[in-house]
Amino acid sequence: MPTVTIDGVVVKVEEGSTILDAARETGIWIPTLCYNPSVSAPAVCRLCMVELERGKRKQLVTACNYPVRSDIKVSVSSKRAVRARRGVMELLLARAPESEELKELAARMGVEGTPYPKVTESQRNCILCGLCTSVCEEVIGCSAIGFAGRGVDRAVATPFRLASDECIACGACAVVCPVGTIQLRIHEDTGEVEISPFKSRAKLLFCEECGRRMVTEPLAKQILSKVKIDWEEFRERARLCPECRRKKTAEALGLIASKSH
Amino acid sequence: MKAIKSQAELESLRKKLSKKLNPKVKIVRVCIGTGCAAKGSKRLYELLCEAAKEAGENIKVEAKCVGCHGFCERGPIIVIQPGNIIYQRVEEPDVGEIFRETVLGGRVVERLLYEDPKSGKKAKTEEEIPFYRAQQRIVLAENGRIDPTSIEDYLIAGGYGALSKVLNGMSPDEIIKEVELAGLRGRGGGGFPTARKWRSCREAEGSDKYVICNGDEGDPGAFMDRSIMEGNPHSVLEGMIIGAYAIGASQGYIYVRNEYPLAVEHLRKAISQARELGLLGENILDSGFSFDIRINRGGGAFVCGESTALMASLEGRAGEPRAKYVHTVEKGLNEKPTNLNNVETWTNIPAIINRGGKWFASIGTEGSKGTKVFSLVGKVVNTGLVEVPMGMTLRQIVEEIGGGVKEGKKFKAVQTGGPSGGCIPAKHLDARVDFDELTKLGSMMGSGGMIVMDEDTCMVNVAHYFLNFLKEESCGKCTPCREGIAQMLYILDRITRGEGESGDIEKLETLAGLLDETALCALGTTAANPILSTIRYFRDEYKEHIAENRCPAKVCRNLFLYEINAEVCTGCGICKKNCPEIAITGERREPHVIDQEKCTKCGTCFEKCPFTAIMKV
Ligand SMILES: Cc1cc2nc3c(=O)[nH]c(=O)nc-3n(C[C@H](O)[C@H](O)[C@H](O)COP(=O)(O)O)c2cc1C
Ligand code: SF4
Ligand code: SF4
Ligand code: SF4
Ligand code: SF4
Ligand code: FES
Ligand code: FES
Repeated sequence: MPTVTIDGVVVKVEEGSTILDAARETGIWIPTLCYNPSVSAPAVCRLCMVELERGKRKQLVTACNYPVRSDIKVSVSSKRAVRARRGVMELLLARAPESEELKELAARMGVEGTPYPKVTESQRNCILCGLCTSVCEEVIGCSAIGFAGRGVDRAVATPFRLASDECIACGACAVVCPVGTIQLRIHEDTGEVEISPFKSRAKLLFCEECGRRMVTEPLAKQILSKVKIDWEEFRERARLCPECRRKKTAEALGLIASKSH
Repeated sequence: MKAIKSQAELESLRKKLSKKLNPKVKIVRVCIGTGCAAKGSKRLYELLCEAAKEAGENIKVEAKCVGCHGFCERGPIIVIQPGNIIYQRVEEPDVGEIFRETVLGGRVVERLLYEDPKSGKKAKTEEEIPFYRAQQRIVLAENGRIDPTSIEDYLIAGGYGALSKVLNGMSPDEIIKEVELAGLRGRGGGGFPTARKWRSCREAEGSDKYVICNGDEGDPGAFMDRSIMEGNPHSVLEGMIIGAYAIGASQGYIYVRNEYPLAVEHLRKAISQARELGLLGENILDSGFSFDIRINRGGGAFVCGESTALMASLEGRAGEPRAKYVHTVEKGLNEKPTNLNNVETWTNIPAIINRGGKWFASIGTEGSKGTKVFSLVGKVVNTGLVEVPMGMTLRQIVEEIGGGVKEGKKFKAVQTGGPSGGCIPAKHLDARVDFDELTKLGSMMGSGGMIVMDEDTCMVNVAHYFLNFLKEESCGKCTPCREGIAQMLYILDRITRGEGESGDIEKLETLAGLLDETALCALGTTAANPILSTIRYFRDEYKEHIAENRCPAKVCRNLFLYEINAEVCTGCGICKKNCPEIAITGERREPHVIDQEKCTKCGTCFEKCPFTAIMKV
């Protein structure tokens, strides 16, 4: 197992782990935005820059996808690494000056504000980290959203910017978005949930006992396709919200108990 | 033709073809490269074909389609054998005379010869034209001499001799050693040692390996790779087959820029000819080695030429760079070991095998061997493709080959390396052109763009132009490139509008450093070169823009005025009539005046005044 020395702290990691994995092992914090362990690292936000020492050569690399193959020395706190991360953060703040999440992260990095004006348009603070599209494709398996346009016109969108039939309104994209760009909107009148800003909608299932909102219909279907359970039984169970189901089960158990007595 | 099974068969076919060549046959070669074709050379070709047909059996005349000669500025170009007589700027009405006088009569039509503007001397052959004389052609050696659609022509010129040589007695290791000895470095931009790349790919684990030829050539104004693919496609194939054999690859791809239909056509034809002859496909020359090549059309964006983006595009995904620390020679196309080289890099291979690495290494400088093809454009007298030995000075290229700056203007800078290259000022004109020297000067070799700029060029505007190109072409994936270029452009915009602030230069430098260190791919890391190099050599010009609101070259519209010199103005009224803003007033035969409030600086009056009475101040 190769050894990684991070700011003087030594840690052994599996070959192929990343510098970020190693840093987390030691408890040393490296800011990240586009990293999420459940999807492959696109390494596009460039916020996690650290300085890698290889013999005489020193080089800045992104911690989230740099694979450890042999013993290496890494500096998170070197002047050069700090300057690079600060620079990237300042550019992000210029793009999305209203994002509370970004400001918080910046503050934690010791970056207060940005010297740059806002020159690029962002859709509701989106910093184009790509987590939403990766999750939708790699984890949910829907590929309902992707990137459209290039350069400063790049944006996350559904194909042709129309509500997507592929979207099952699972909300995973909204959960992973680091800046809250994606939001779930419940439409009580139609019993639908909308994934904003993509305009995709899906019908919600309601608990037959208490009327509480549950998952969306297409999501329930997709779960069914993955869980080994027959439809009748599934429908029986899916009709109820977890709480009502628990009650029902308890009642049933109680019933069984009282009968046997 | 029947498939060839051995080296001996190849040589005997070559002999047979050469014998068929009758030295008495007269050949008329019409350039149908894109430059000449745009000026109507295809029609000339047809007319000459007709004339040849009418001339009858006794005198056999061939009109041949050939690739680019490089001297596109003077196109359409026609070369006539015997005598190697070169005619330039030929037009349709000239065809009759050329045929009658030169082809049939063996006399030279003086008026169609190239005339050296300096000495006034007419040149009859290529060798007499300074544009060609100072060049040394390895890659472009056969361009314009052979018909790119004929494998026979390529064979007669010695083609596929290098391939049969390696398949008959050179081990892959020996080939790589020869390329190493040659000191060949990649011509696609980075100048990476080719042998080292081949060796890594050969040694990489995995059995399915690929070789790719990068023919995406997205630099604006560049056309070296296009000319090679159009003018001598078999040389690209031969280089790739040899490389594939050395690396142990069984499949090759040529990724051709979408806007190059003629290159695709010629490559397609070449591939099917080579397959038919058994030089491509199963069991090449009965050696047991099998390899085939497919052509793919480019994705249309500049960034598609970047290696990981190109491979993503080949896989059918969006042509965007990928952030990876594992090299493509280990995990490239379809996660398999992949060796990517530029068109010109591949084309150098047959020559290296034929004439030896030592010979190749005798040309050039310490760190850069062989020749390099440049596309020489801008404010020089002769524009076109030039191939020169590495180490030639910029001055030689600009003055000797290029014939100096147009219209007797003063030289200001030469921009090399494509959009992310840099500008080199007059004081470095004696620098020797090679990979390391250009990098030291803050520019780069890139793929070989060379734009000459004269005294009327504003360097801030130049930086703005290139940065704007890069902004349009950035894929937008990574933060520093997408946001950083936009920020730099915003500052440059202000400076050229006369709204520069003190501290702007430093801000540009900070952003430039940030991009260099943090961007995901080389488009972003080199994007600041146009700015950094112009700041380095023309800092005063930036300062004048910022502090004095003055554009010394009088290019930035907000920073100069058009004024009429009352002493020169004849009152002809032409400017007044042409001004779209009705900003000019004056009585006939009286000096006119421009109302600065109304003038939008469109420059129409400046262009139209027959007496050059209008000045930029
Ligand atoms: C934005 C960008 C565009 C590029 N475009 C080209 C191109 O059009 N042709 C090319 O040969 N190389 C291009 N390159 C360089 C390739 O990534 C790669 O380095 C090269 O093809 C390797 O071949 P070589 O070793 O023979 O030079 C480009 C690089 C970048 C960053
Ligand atoms: S809500 Fe729709 S777009 Fe978002 S991850 Fe789920 S399927 Fe994909
Ligand atoms: S919407 Fe959110 S998750 Fe998706 S790219 Fe933008 S910032 Fe990232
Ligand atoms: S540097 Fe520019 S072109 Fe390269 S990946 Fe980043 S955004 Fe895309
Ligand atoms: S065109 Fe020239 S000469 Fe004629 S009126 Fe205008 S400034 Fe005077
Ligand atoms: S977290 Fe590493 S590049 Fe985004
Ligand atoms: S196209 Fe004819 S000389 Fe270049």
